[in-house]
Amino acid sequence: MPLPAKAFQRWLHGIAPQASTADICRISGVKRTTLAQQLVRGKVAESTVVSISRAFNINPVAALATFANYSELAGSPVLPTAAELVSQIATMDLLSAVIARSAGAAGGGDDVDKPQAPPLTPAPHATSVKNWVDAIDDGELRHRVSVATGIAPQNYSAQLTANRLTPELAIATSRAAGVGLTGGLVATGMITESEAGWPSGARQAALDALSDGELAALAGERLQALGKTLKRQEQDHQQTKTIWENLG
Amino acid sequence: MIEILQWSTLAVCCAAALARIPSAVRGENRSLFYIFVLATLAILLSIDGPYVAIDGLLGGSNVANLILRFVLFAVIFFIGLRCVNAFGADQQRRWLLGVPGIVVFGLIAGVMVVFFTMMDSSGSSAGLVAVYERSTRNAHLVEYYGAAGRAYPAYVSLVLLPAMVKAVGSRLPVLVRAGALLLAVGGVCLTVSLLFPFFPEPWSPLKFIINYGAALCFVVGLAAFWIARVRATQLAPQKSSTAK
Repeated sequence: MPLPAKAFQRWLHGIAPQASTADICRISGVKRTTLAQQLVRGKVAESTVVSISRAFNINPVAALATFANYSELAGSPVLPTAAELVSQIATMDLLSAVIARSAGAAGGGDDVDKPQAPPLTPAPHATSVKNWVDAIDDGELRHRVSVATGIAPQNYSAQLTANRLTPELAIATSRAAGVGLTGGLVATGMITESEAGWPSGARQAALDALSDGELAALAGERLQALGKTLKRQEQDHQQTKTIWENLG
Repeated sequence: MIEILQWSTLAVCCAAALARIPSAVRGENRSLFYIFVLATLAILLSIDGPYVAIDGLLGGSNVANLILRFVLFAVIFFIGLRCVNAFGADQQRRWLLGVPGIVVFGLIAGVMVVFFTMMDSSGSSAGLVAVYERSTRNAHLVEYYGAAGRAYPAYVSLVLLPAMVKAVGSRLPVLVRAGALLLAVGGVCLTVSLLFPFFPEPWSPLKFIINYGAALCFVVGLAAFWIARVRATQLAPQKSSTAK
């Protein structure tokens, strides 16, 4: 649900009373044509507000919370669950962790030479949205989101598969799962972990808290999903090639 | 309106054929070039002026109309063949190339030729309009002949339809899916054309629109696959150069 242009103008006037639209665009990196179009249509994208608030050193979540349809974001952030934190670790980082741990185990008790896994790449990753929903899903979550928002289940699934989720749906999903409301915004890459109030190192800590068995099972699941996706892509690619060989 | 549609369909076909020449010279999918050339010829033969001129050369007994039908059969057969190969529609291959396909083709072609020889076909006339108006017997024969002529294209497009619908709903590139959609629409048009004898008189302009619409759908659909390939091969080197 994009933000009404009127409310946006009011907000903008509140944070930068003197700045012209051109200044705003220059500072925030929002394209002028994009902003102009959004204003003409009367609907301003959430990402525009996020970019502008970053440029003015305002927390994007706090900025969004000033709008009526995101007012529930106000208040102290709820910390993410361990499952959410782990879901935002890229598959390759999980695999590195597996390798680092097994190398550490093979090396014996010598702590000094223990190979360290490289630092985690920042969220989001290639399948972060789907992994996040899977992490907070109790089996009925998708159904509840669909009932609450009116989105058709297949459209919701399609967004997850495409690693996308509108901010509105991301928040609705969090609410339906009873977790912190900003988790989905992190998973979709709209805001960063620190903007969402996640403590720095929280993902690393959640990863370290996994037992070897949990980590291996999780990495295995991710790897299997990756294999499926890659295989499907290869099949599609092969099919396209056949079509072009015959019809191109 | 109808004239504009006719000539623009011809122009599109002709342009597609001309644009295919370089790839035909390079040896890429020559049959696609032949499809476009034959389609151009078929459309040329279905327009009044060129038809009368060409049929005049052939003796003025409307043999050109019979040729037109067989050219159309060839076009639709090759399109079908290409599509079956391209979309890996192995269940459908039998219905096009196997015994059932050959039997259907033989039957329809035989029936068509018999009707043609039975009618008094003298006097060049595009669409056999003049022949139709000569007598009730001729009118009926022209009707059956026309139906037979439309039957094979309709048959082939029905055979292809499931594969096309599947391709439209797939995760293939957008242009490929658009091409498949156009081929499917063209196929539906051809199938609807089987019902022409049941169309009331005031609907006859609709017949032209459906006929030429089908032709346009097929040509533009085939061009869409081709453009998709050209775009993909142009994009690929760019990607690798940015990766360096």
